[in-house]
Amino acid sequence: MGAFDMLRIAGSSLGFHQTWLDTLANNIANVNTIKPTSGSAFQAQGVIAQAQQGGGVAVAGITQGDPTGRLEYQPDHPLADANGYVRAPEIDMATQMTELVMAQRGFQASVQVTKDAQETYQSALSIGRG
Amino acid sequence: MSVSGIEAVGGFTPLATPQLDATSGVKGAAGSSAVDGSKEFGNLVLDGIDRLQSVQSTSDQLAVKAATGDLDAIHHYTIAASEAAVTTQLTVAVRNKALEAFNEIMRMPV
Repeated sequence: MGAFDMLRIAGSSLGFHQTWLDTLANNIANVNTIKPTSGSAFQAQGVIAQAQQGGGVAVAGITQGDPTGRLEYQPDHPLADANGYVRAPEIDMATQMTELVMAQRGFQASVQVTKDAQETYQSALSIGRG
Repeated sequence: MSVSGIEAVGGFTPLATPQLDATSGVKGAAGSSAVDGSKEFGNLVLDGIDRLQSVQSTSDQLAVKAATGDLDAIHHYTIAASEAAVTTQLTVAVRNKALEAFNEIMRMPV
């Protein structure tokens, strides 16, 4: 326990939400990434949150989505196999955007916590002043 | 018919005031030099300044990283910077109080 635990815990939350935002950005960026049917499709990533012993949150791991993906018939695509099929990632854009809003709001909430922590420390400093 | 007495409220412990023991006083930069038994105010201020220096150097290193683009996350720097700012203000407040007390003693008519 330290004097700046409130800031430290809020900072760990900022780190977690930033990782979450990074994975969501990666998922959305690769929503149209086509792979050949011989390989696996792009796998959507997800984050696993874990509470920390002394307070705070950390990324326990990154989950990988379905490697099977979705078979699409695109015979003109350069990566298409003999039957004209390619492998598209199994990413639901609506879910990704919803999670993006959740991660963004979580990040903003943690920023608000750091602001409040600063205000709290400032008011503690004003004790006995003047 | 037997009536059982009202039991005392369980699970409630009165708030214990925090105790400052000799080992968990203000730690120095390396976290080793705890305030000794004599607890001189001067040592307290000096240890505070040591800690302030380490916090500020952390903040400075992150500021350099931010400038060179090696910063992993923005909040690492902003949190270190606000921590340094608050610690500076606290140390200055303690110093001002010490000076105030000193002046008060100097003004004491003998």
